[in-house]
Amino acid sequence: MYLVANIDTEICAATSCKLCTQYCPEANTILYDNAAGEDKGFKYGAAYVAVDRCKGCAQCVWVCDNMAKHNAIKMEMIDQIGDTALTENVTYGEKTSTAILANPVRGQM
Amino acid sequence: MSLDYVKFTPGFGKFMPKEYRDMVEHGPFGKKTSVSQVGTFKEILEEHPMCAGCAMTLFIRLAIIAFPNPEDTITVGTAGCGRLAISQAAIPFVYGNYGDQNGVASGLTRGLRLRFGDKPKDVVVMAGDGGMADIGFAQTLHSWFRKEKFTTIMLDNEVYGNTGGQESGMTNKNQVLKMAPLGKKFEKMDMLGMAKVAGCAYVATVVPNNPRRVESVIKKAVLVAREIGPSYIQAYTSCNIEYAIPTDKVMEDAKTVETDRYKFSEYITDEAKEYLSQLYGYKEYLPKPAAAVEKK
Ligand SMILES: Cc1ncc(C[n+]2csc(CCOP(=O)(O)OP(=O)(O)O)c2C)c(N)n1
Ligand code: SF4
Ligand code: SF4
Ligand code: SF4
Repeated sequence: MYLVANIDTEICAATSCKLCTQYCPEANTILYDNAAGEDKGFKYGAAYVAVDRCKGCAQCVWVCDNMAKHNAIKMEMIDQIGDTALTENVTYGEKTSTAILANPVRGQM
Repeated sequence: MSLDYVKFTPGFGKFMPKEYRDMVEHGPFGKKTSVSQVGTFKEILEEHPMCAGCAMTLFIRLAIIAFPNPEDTITVGTAGCGRLAISQAAIPFVYGNYGDQNGVASGLTRGLRLRFGDKPKDVVVMAGDGGMADIGFAQTLHSWFRKEKFTTIMLDNEVYGNTGGQESGMTNKNQVLKMAPLGKKFEKMDMLGMAKVAGCAYVATVVPNNPRRVESVIKKAVLVAREIGPSYIQAYTSCNIEYAIPTDKVMEDAKTVETDRYKFSEYITDEAKEYLSQLYGYKEYLPKPAAAVEKK
């Protein structure tokens, strides 16, 4: 098993700083959902990780902890992470994207 | 090379992979997208085998987002780590033999101008420090002296990363590397100085720990190369493998190196300033109003 980045939607949605999205070395990996956290009263959405593209470098963790100072990202084992975003479940819209969450470890649903 | 080349042949869209459909329908082609909007549109760059956490990867990602007209751009590269990613973008990529990239780009740029006239087609070379300052040195310099109108970007990781850690002309003096066990004997080459002497119209240094600055210099460099003359960007893109930088400390290293010895710098000729301000609205390059000058 290996580590991937996991973003806490509530902590992220509280500020929606959009820093980690610009610093992930991988393209199309940290995505942004403008509607995330709406149910909890947040207005500007949150970032999330398409874990199938994440290489586990933890650069986003450094950026969120040290530049944004929000501590919203943790590295977690792919089989422990629970339902999460995968590229195949991402839909792009007008200046936003959303993902239907699913179990990332195939065959262990 | 036009907006049409990314579209599907009618009737075939539904058979295409999801990533391709997303790129056609929600990619940056023909739109104005910026680094601050990433995560909300499908990027042109796809998955590639460069190392986890590599700063060069981040820089290439940002550079491709910054291209002013991705649908009218061709990239040129060569042996070295960067081509592993640059070739995985939905932008035509030409692979020059090691060191030949600026020669290849010269011919390509001239050919495109013959074929398309004034309609801008941007050629952007991205290659490593070894490929550019050592093996391709003559071709790089000659393309500048000949005032070939394309952009040259050095992915400066200060080592031959792809072949396991030999020193390059851009490695710092005394640096010990796997294949330079006694330390490098001479100074880092001044390619910025040479770019200016050779007649580049726009020269900048940048580090990817400032994504919006990367975006800004790439845009300017590509626009200047369209009409004014050659442009050169030298980007510090550390090799976390050969320099043993833990991947979660890559941006910390970038920040330190930027502060210590890789400060942002920009050189631009008066002609390029005038062109950017007149044609593309860059206010920073507008001539200072006479009153402000008199006040001094
Ligand atoms: C003509 C030729 N000579 C040597 C090589 C072997 N080679 C492949 S990559 C490379 C080094 C690349 O170093 P650099 O240009 O600094 O790029 P980096 O991998 O560090 O990004 C070499 C020597 C080659 N492919 N072709
Ligand atoms: S850096 Fe942290 S707070 Fe900012 S968008 Fe990313 S996860 Fe959210
Ligand atoms: S761990 Fe690395 S690859 Fe994964 S989301 Fe974070 S920055 Fe991107
Ligand atoms: S060897 Fe170095 S420069 Fe090449 S991909 Fe890996 S970290 Fe990046």
